[in-house]
Amino acid sequence: MSFLHNAGTVAKYETVILRRSWFFRLFTIGSLVIFSFMNIGLFSPVGGQPWELISIPSTIPLINLYLLNIGQAIVVIFLAADFLRRDKKLDTNEVLYTRSMSNFEYVLGKTWGIIRLFLGLNIIILCIGLLMNIISKSISVDILSYLQYILIFTIPTIVFSLGLAFLLMSVIRNQAITFLILLGIAALDMFWFWYRAGSIFDYMAFGLPVYKSEVIGFDNVEGIIIQRLLFFFAGMAMVMGTVLIFKRLPQSKLHTSLAVLFLILSVSASVFCGYKIYTAVTNNYETRERVTETNREFENRIFPVLTDVSIELTHEGETIEAEAYLKITNDNGEPLETYLFSLNPSLTVNKITAQARDLEYKIYNHVIEVMPGKVLLPGMSDSLKIEYTGRINEAYCAPDFSGNLKDNINRIAMFNVSKRQYFLTDNYLLLTPETNWYPVASLNFYPANPARIKIDFTNYTLKVKSVKGLVAVSQGRREFDSAGYTFTPESPLTGLTLAMGNYRSDTIKVDSITYITHFFPGNDYYKKDLTELKDTLPNLISGIMRDLETSFSSDYPFKTLSLVEVPAQFYSYTRQSTQTRAEVQPSLILLPERLSSLENAGFGQRFKNQKKRMARNNQVITDKELQIRLFNDFMRENFISGTNTVYARNNNDESTYSEPSRYRLGPSFYFYRNNFHSSEFPVINAVFESHLQHLFQQGSRTGFLSMLGSLSEIDKANLILRTKSFSELLAENPKGDTVRVVLGVKGDWLFNLLRSEAGIEEFNKWFRKYCDENQFRSVDLMKFRSDVKQEFNFDFYPYLDKWFNGRQQPGFLFSGLRVSEIVVDERSRYQVSFTALNPEAVPGVFNISFRGEGPGRQGRPGAGGFSPQGPGSGQSFMQGRGMEASDIEKIVLLGPGETKMISIVTDVQPRAVVINTLFARNIPGEINMPVDNIIKSRRNQNSFTSDEKIIATSENGDPGEIIVDNEDPGFSSGADIVEAPLKRLFGITNRRSKSYMQVAQWNIPEYWQPVVQSSYYGKYVRSAVYKRTGSGDRPLTWSANITEPGYYDVYCYIGKSMERRRIRTDREGGQEGPVAREGEQEESRFKDHHYKVYHDDGVEEITVDYENAEAEWNNIGRYYLSKDTARVILSDQSSGRLVIGDAVKWVKVE
Amino acid sequence: MKIEIRGLNQIYPNGNHALKDINLELGTGMFGLLGPNGAGKSSLMRILVALMKPTSGVVLVDGMDIQKNREKLRFMLGYLPQDFRFFTSLKTWEFLDYSGSLAGMKNRKERKAEVDRLLDQVGLLEVRDRKANKLSGGMKRRLGIAQALIGNPRIIVVDEPTTGLDPDERIRFRNILSQLSRKEVIIILSTHIVGDISSTCQGMALLNKGEMVFNGSPENLVNQAEGHVFRMVLSPHEYDIVKEKYNVISTVPVETGWEVQIVSDDIPEFRATKVKPNIEDAYVYYMEHKLRTYITD
Repeated sequence: MSFLHNAGTVAKYETVILRRSWFFRLFTIGSLVIFSFMNIGLFSPVGGQPWELISIPSTIPLINLYLLNIGQAIVVIFLAADFLRRDKKLDTNEVLYTRSMSNFEYVLGKTWGIIRLFLGLNIIILCIGLLMNIISKSISVDILSYLQYILIFTIPTIVFSLGLAFLLMSVIRNQAITFLILLGIAALDMFWFWYRAGSIFDYMAFGLPVYKSEVIGFDNVEGIIIQRLLFFFAGMAMVMGTVLIFKRLPQSKLHTSLAVLFLILSVSASVFCGYKIYTAVTNNYETRERVTETNREFENRIFPVLTDVSIELTHEGETIEAEAYLKITNDNGEPLETYLFSLNPSLTVNKITAQARDLEYKIYNHVIEVMPGKVLLPGMSDSLKIEYTGRINEAYCAPDFSGNLKDNINRIAMFNVSKRQYFLTDNYLLLTPETNWYPVASLNFYPANPARIKIDFTNYTLKVKSVKGLVAVSQGRREFDSAGYTFTPESPLTGLTLAMGNYRSDTIKVDSITYITHFFPGNDYYKKDLTELKDTLPNLISGIMRDLETSFSSDYPFKTLSLVEVPAQFYSYTRQSTQTRAEVQPSLILLPERLSSLENAGFGQRFKNQKKRMARNNQVITDKELQIRLFNDFMRENFISGTNTVYARNNNDESTYSEPSRYRLGPSFYFYRNNFHSSEFPVINAVFESHLQHLFQQGSRTGFLSMLGSLSEIDKANLILRTKSFSELLAENPKGDTVRVVLGVKGDWLFNLLRSEAGIEEFNKWFRKYCDENQFRSVDLMKFRSDVKQEFNFDFYPYLDKWFNGRQQPGFLFSGLRVSEIVVDERSRYQVSFTALNPEAVPGVFNISFRGEGPGRQGRPGAGGFSPQGPGSGQSFMQGRGMEASDIEKIVLLGPGETKMISIVTDVQPRAVVINTLFARNIPGEINMPVDNIIKSRRNQNSFTSDEKIIATSENGDPGEIIVDNEDPGFSSGADIVEAPLKRLFGITNRRSKSYMQVAQWNIPEYWQPVVQSSYYGKYVRSAVYKRTGSGDRPLTWSANITEPGYYDVYCYIGKSMERRRIRTDREGGQEGPVAREGEQEESRFKDHHYKVYHDDGVEEITVDYENAEAEWNNIGRYYLSKDTARVILSDQSSGRLVIGDAVKWVKVE
Repeated sequence: MKIEIRGLNQIYPNGNHALKDINLELGTGMFGLLGPNGAGKSSLMRILVALMKPTSGVVLVDGMDIQKNREKLRFMLGYLPQDFRFFTSLKTWEFLDYSGSLAGMKNRKERKAEVDRLLDQVGLLEVRDRKANKLSGGMKRRLGIAQALIGNPRIIVVDEPTTGLDPDERIRFRNILSQLSRKEVIIILSTHIVGDISSTCQGMALLNKGEMVFNGSPENLVNQAEGHVFRMVLSPHEYDIVKEKYNVISTVPVETGWEVQIVSDDIPEFRATKVKPNIEDAYVYYMEHKLRTYITD
């Protein structure tokens, strides 16, 4: 008992001493203030109550302890190191050291003293959160989670931090060095280690996914316990180590032995936990490798088509037992001697039979090769039954992803959430087709062709029995009897999903489609929040579905649409073979529990906020109108047009991009309905899907990313394709949004090619019909080719080889824009003509649209209804995407080296001609040619719209002109950027300096960043460089070699966006009309630019006022230059915020 | 109760031989360890309180080797280190309570009573709720002795307790120690202030450069200086000669020059009268004269 007494005494007074230290007091007061405000601001009835944070109640203790833990992990370092520093003042502590207590008691007492102090603070902070939780009636209380998060965050973090601090102080005995090391370790955890190697170094649980579902609780209890025990035991081991090396003569052999024993036990336990984590990571990796290798082995083998599947499944807690009756057809051109199927490798095949006869089979990891004992001739069918049992191996589902936390990070609010592909527990089950929980006649991933996919439209039936009495949810008509649930989908499906849990359901039938919501008890909060919608709901749903059908030019192909609530940890990886995510299945969408991570889902709070805002603005709106608005916003943002921002790591490159919402209904209108396949171009379905679902039409660049200076997706894609072909890129299987953006550009190119020859409207009409006729059928690309050829007399197939395998890009040069107002049939119309040249060796396609009168972009007809940006957003917006393509005036196919005079007559006065160069060398790919002059002609004129091939004009400019662009060798932006040694050490590269961007709204670089805009000077790449205003020490230099002495006019190029241009309306005969300024504009960030022109008589300093300069070449003087190098320098000093430099021109004066 | 020190040697890693073959036997009462700075007093003290392990030799308390029985020794020990400062954020009573609790006083009520008793004994009861940084230097020393006394220790080791104290506090401190020495305890007082020894100690040892050069009672030390302490009145010129030749203990200016007290084995050449030595005179005689002679011989 003296152990407890002595250790307790030391702990008690250690607590008193630390509690009275100014450092801890400051931390405590600061924490209490911050967390009180945070809890009141977020969770109280008067707070913001953001839905992501209040939808699942365990988020309240989670956010409190997660944030507090970061702070206390650092503070505890100071306090722990301070304790040993105090002990170093020997005379102070010697009076204690001479007391009869063991070092074991003393160090443990100290440790416990600090722990209990922090535990106290944690409990106080949690009490604040709990108080807000209780008084906020809209949030239920998960009291257990408060305790669970203390065990997860506080205890292991503090024990580890203390142990490490004690040990380091005991060994190093230098407080400053110990601080530095410990703070370095804390920083490394937060910025480097948190996601690596299965979080094996994440002692703070900074990145560890510990999000708790109300349905299944923690998704990886064993993993979390092991990870936290690793650090708890490591901390204890270091505390024991401190006991043993403590600078005080020991007095108890028993306690010394105990310390040694605990040290050994703690080290062993810690090593064991570390080993478990390591093996989990390596097992995961090996599974993926094995799956990939097996796939590689079988990817060139032929598989049958699965036409009918009937599954009888029993859910037995953490395992399933199933029998699958399969009907297959051989649609290959050659006979099948063996049947190949894939099944999740953790499911064990017990028996395969056909007509009550056992069949031989072999298992290759997840591939089953069945020997039917006969040959299945092309076009013939066969049936067999596969009996299997077992669990699901999650690593199998996405073999091309590492499973690393940072690969496609999944977050709700600030918290990392596990990426669970399935759930198989006593009380809940979720199996999607991606898990291959039933045999399928394809591979889940084709390593040589990651964009390849084999889709079978299969007639399924499913019988489900649960020993736990859970409610089953799947596709199709549901029947329930004593034997369990039976599901019979009305149409063939590409895959079957099964969910089982304590589900409740609501059903509504609108326009012959049955909409079913399957939710967990109490999670239908939205009914209470949207009470006014009861009568209107059918109309709202009908309206949304009609909009979708119009947008996709196709009817919704299923009779039901089920919205199924699943645990928040459910996640699907992106795939190269499709843009469709596993959250959206045929006729079924899997939604996170309580819609926790969905945009605009907190209807109640949003209603209150908007009501208040409207009252402030004296706007009147009825509750019903407001609820309709909220409902529509929610539906559109999540199921139709929303985007998510993704923070992704691609090898060592980290990037931020936006991707379509995971819940978009788009796949129902193409991917789950139609399929085109080609053995020669396995990517074809993904390309069709990408274009037809126009998934990134509105989500191509959110305002946020645009403000950060991100490039448009077409530009990203074209830059990627500069060095490699489409097929090479796909074989590399890059992560992030690379494949998605390239698929988009390639798809747009292909469909624009088809439309260019077939006619836009004609092709669209025919293609819609074609898709309807081939619904739930897989179409060979060769058949599509012959059908297109027959209909339009155009063979697109010869273009595909270069399109897929070619490295060369076309490039377009445009010149001679001329717009005339003409009178045709006694009506004023506008004739737009310009010359287009493709000097490259491959054909190219570009499309043309007009920007009409009025501010900003005209609304997009047809598909504009869902645009979140609306008119005038100034965003890059590539026309010619999706089925509508009604924004395009003309599509032009330009052969290698071909030049055409393009002419279009339009009814609306164009303000600018907008050209989308699609797949081309042009950066940016969207070229705005402003219409500065409109020539008015009073005469009646015959309009002509045909293109006229003309003899190629020279690309070379005037021989008397020397132009040095920022892309040219004569241009210099100073010394190359030297990356800091630490950055080099950790492989952190400065992406901004290397690739093109757009001028950002914030985070402006201090170095010269290449930026692109169609108004900048350039051949294909219309770029400039810009930076934050500096002190003049980083100038730009344009140098040219003067071969002919004489007087030269020197010009600098100023490129301005459309919004900053002046519009002139020139009368015929060149009379200048009144200069019209656009409406109110924000003050320009570009102001005075200071050029130095070097010439024979010295240096001339010229200031160019950016705002008043022309958006073209601006003369900066005439100078005599002899044979030598001419130089123009632009300083980075300015009174504006930014400085930009583009091109300089010297023109010889004759 | 007795403490036996046998063949104690302490050699530090830097080669400094801090204690050289110390042999000593201590009984109850107060024992003074006298010696100049660096003589090895603190090393001996730290070994006695089991803060340090000797290089060789043993210390036995009632026949029990303290290095093998640290737990028992520490239970019977009260220690006041030379530079005693306690945690600034603890109140006076809290620190005593902390010490008392670690001294084995598990009963909170008894501990509280003992804390107050000791605070009263050392005159700190009025400041029981005052934090350390608000105490004067003397108060801190008194608190130090109080914490050394809590738990009724049988061996009390005090290292340089009066250094830096004003005369009043020093007298007060000596009185506290004197009172304690009447109990059945061994008090080991290490000091370089000779006065601390004469007024309180029954026995004493003299340490010099790690060696024990004297072990006996203070009276013995004084007796050894008997007849070797002289007083004389000197002119300035004579004073210069005497200063060079003898160990001058004190110099007082008088009308005709200087009244000087010296220690010497021989009778000085100048007009000198023998005076009765006190312990300080004896200490100087011993350290500066006898030891030198001893070393020379």
